[in-house]
Amino acid sequence: MAVSSSAQIRVVAQDPSVRVDGRILTALVSLPVEDAREGPTGHRVQVIDYDATTRTMYARARPLDPADPSDEDIMGDPAFHARNVYGLVMATLARFEYALGRRVAWGFPGHQLKVVPHAFAVANAFYSPDSEALLFGYFDRGERTIFTCLSHDVVVHETTHALLHGLRGRFLRASSADQAAFHEAFADVVALLSVFSMREVVQRLIDHYAGRGSRASRKGAVSASALQPDRLKRSALFALAEEMVPERDPGGIGALRRSVDLEPDQNLLNRLEFRDSHRRGEVLVAAVCHAFLEVWVRRLQALGTDMVDRERAAEEGAGIAEQLLTMAIRGLDYTPPVDLLFGDFLSAALTADTEVRPNDERYHLRETLLSSCAAYGIRPASGTPDGCWRRSDKQLRRTGVRFGSVQSDPTEMFRLIWANHRCLRLPVTAYSWVSDVRPCLRIEPEDGLPVRETVATCIQHVKITAAELGDYGLHPPPGMHPDTDIVLEGGSTLVLDEYGLLKFEISNRLPKRTDESACKRAQARLDYLFESGAYAAGSAFRGRLAAVHRLRSTQTASSRSEVW
Amino acid sequence: MTRPAPIRVRIFVYNVGFGDCILLCFDYDQGRSRTVLVDFGSTQKAQFGAPPSMNDVAREIGEQCGGKLDVVIATHRHADHISGFAGSSGAVISGLQPEVVVQPWTEEPGLAVDATDSAVSSPRAGNRKFTARLDRLHAAAAQVLHQIPRLAATPGVTASLTDELRFLGETNIKNAEAVKALQAMGDRHEYASFGSDLGLADVLPGVGVEVLGPPTLAQSPEIAAMAASDADEFWHLAATADAVPGQPSVRDLFPGARTARRVPQEARWLVPRIDKMQAEELLSLVRILDDVMNNTSLILLFTIGETLLLFPGDAQLENWSYALQRAPNSADICARLSQTRVYKVGHHGSLNSTPRTMLWGGFARAGQGDPAERLITLLSTRAGKHGSESRGTEVPRGRLVEELEARSELVNTQDCRAASGWWREVVVPL
Repeated sequence: MAVSSSAQIRVVAQDPSVRVDGRILTALVSLPVEDAREGPTGHRVQVIDYDATTRTMYARARPLDPADPSDEDIMGDPAFHARNVYGLVMATLARFEYALGRRVAWGFPGHQLKVVPHAFAVANAFYSPDSEALLFGYFDRGERTIFTCLSHDVVVHETTHALLHGLRGRFLRASSADQAAFHEAFADVVALLSVFSMREVVQRLIDHYAGRGSRASRKGAVSASALQPDRLKRSALFALAEEMVPERDPGGIGALRRSVDLEPDQNLLNRLEFRDSHRRGEVLVAAVCHAFLEVWVRRLQALGTDMVDRERAAEEGAGIAEQLLTMAIRGLDYTPPVDLLFGDFLSAALTADTEVRPNDERYHLRETLLSSCAAYGIRPASGTPDGCWRRSDKQLRRTGVRFGSVQSDPTEMFRLIWANHRCLRLPVTAYSWVSDVRPCLRIEPEDGLPVRETVATCIQHVKITAAELGDYGLHPPPGMHPDTDIVLEGGSTLVLDEYGLLKFEISNRLPKRTDESACKRAQARLDYLFESGAYAAGSAFRGRLAAVHRLRSTQTASSRSEVW
Repeated sequence: MTRPAPIRVRIFVYNVGFGDCILLCFDYDQGRSRTVLVDFGSTQKAQFGAPPSMNDVAREIGEQCGGKLDVVIATHRHADHISGFAGSSGAVISGLQPEVVVQPWTEEPGLAVDATDSAVSSPRAGNRKFTARLDRLHAAAAQVLHQIPRLAATPGVTASLTDELRFLGETNIKNAEAVKALQAMGDRHEYASFGSDLGLADVLPGVGVEVLGPPTLAQSPEIAAMAASDADEFWHLAATADAVPGQPSVRDLFPGARTARRVPQEARWLVPRIDKMQAEELLSLVRILDDVMNNTSLILLFTIGETLLLFPGDAQLENWSYALQRAPNSADICARLSQTRVYKVGHHGSLNSTPRTMLWGGFARAGQGDPAERLITLLSTRAGKHGSESRGTEVPRGRLVEELEARSELVNTQDCRAASGWWREVVVPL
């Protein structure tokens, strides 16, 4: 990633359990230059180091300090922890803005995300939209204190929740098993692939894991036989949050999740245990990890059959991870704004990548991702052979619409949509609003030419009772009271080219009697929501992310039809 | 020789407030009786003028069982089911010289001691890990209790939040004294799981006692998921068991670190929210613990001829689902349960302890029929202590109580309010 004007800050590369040569592995990360103050506090992040358990407010930390700290300082200096979270949150934000080609707002009105590195003595970390904050807990294991704020994966994972909330706010709402899982999966993917941007870290981990037990490595080179998929899979590179659980076998490392170990199976998503959002999310993560691994191993094999240059191996990994991560983040712009399924995301990512990087001959990344996802039962929602969304051939009426404003003004964009509601098949009786409209500038990597787009999302909903579902081609799930209030949701993402012409129309529309596929999808959503208790009295999704982290696999048998 | 069979069952249901205490007296010819005490605990006294103490209840049990208990059943470790076995009231029960004490498999002494296996290589090793983790979770509940005075004094932490924390914390502490008293009681101990043979044929002639729950970890993947046989699954909760500092001193996390003398202006909006979120985190954790413990509850089916009495303790859906859905003989179990004559309503009438279609929907005697033949339901509860109506989690759950009132002969302990009538006797002819 190129950051033209940047400062550097030192962070823990994975977490304090991952050590090389007996020392905690750290890395320098580059951040966009800003007028950072003590806290650290900048224009997007404000670290507030308050501990609710001990009722302690730590002093504000110096903003930037690239010095290499000792292990004692890493573990015992709250100021380092504050800088660590600041650095990782800012780096993740910069990564998103680079991929999307624009500034990314948080999912709340303010511009500064609060980050609390030692929030409480609870073994949890989460994003709280209500408090506009990331909260990191800590806990003891034996004599050691585990700080979740020192886990690269945990910090990036939580930051991604906050960024995703800003980009697609409706994805935090209950809608389908896939959507519930997507937040977790996407955050895991970003956390895992982000590690590869730290090339020195990757080199050292290759040495540490792939080199271990293999034929003696020459200086700067590692045995090709050690860079095999199984060996790489076992490394810390594919483990998420290593320190959160103790080691399970003396030869390996523990990890909160190691989705890459999930064997491909086209039927996984249909199994009951994969209704749980974390488990389900792991399927998507596994598909992405396997695609990455396959491409990386293919590139490594091309580098030699005996010894492989370690630096080159890391560079290849970094290049592939960068493309894949950019594809995933950029794909968000091409997702429907509501009711996301994994297949939607796959089509969105493939389309986003094709638009900016049409030539995929170097890595064959899109083809590999498509086949890897297929092996896990994830098929592109587009139904096209290459998995990309079909381009729209609709000619929008633009009479009276100011093109200059339509790129950034929701009201102007709504005027454009209103003028074309028939063509866009958006019912005018539904409550409708443009939730976002953004101009984007992306650079083609090969020729350096800009790709300009405008991305707008329009959301619609209707409030009805269960008794009225029939009007929309739906039926109440067994056991649902006819007076139950129901909100049906639909939405469209419109991608316009630099001339204001419609390139893509990506929709999950409101159900309609005559639209069989929309009805099928809406019925599945309704059944899922009822089954998961969303219509129960007092059901709320406030704080849901904290609960998701806490309640892995604890909701297995709570069949809605069995409770009172 | 044909074994004698009871000619009737007398069931004494005591209003112990929020808790369970039920005595079964199986009467035989010639005035002989055999007695079974199912649970003896409370976390909140009954709500009327002069509610009984646990000593009062113990003495009453002594009277009604004729000075002799044959079997004591402690369905699970929650305080509202076993607290009475501790202290002087426990001594009274112990003095009734029960022969057999029945508890769930998770209570087997020593099971948690050797819980350091690095891998779950056998069902027993898995069970050990689970019970060891439960021990740590009880410790977490105790530590949560220690924090309540501090939380109560924290702006932004509401009284209802600390009340619920206190209630769940008190319910879920280890109850060590009661556990110890149970271990010292009786000539024989049975630690039961689904399908266990309790060997009660001689103690309770003519009475079959079938264990329908809890399943072991090997029997039920759902319980396994809930109980975190895998280290991945429960790290937040288990780790917090270690992490919550105890009283009186909260340790200094970073000795010598620079701290701010007062909360800086930019943090003033957030700090009370962090305090509140900490309390909510702890509450969520003890709620999970509460559910886990409920699912270790014994589910017992007493059979006398064609009369079935069902006592599920506080079992929730995950526990029930093995017997009703997943066990090899679940179809046969469901068929037999349809003829249940007496049902002790699970978990004080909570929303997910009486499976609505799998269990309640199958009770053939539930309905509008002859009161003498209708299903008898026993509800031991106290409203206003657990859950909330706004969340649809109140205990007892309103919808369930309406159903119990409409379709069964309901005995609700909350109706036993007089100083002289805080218990109710139900006679079931056989």
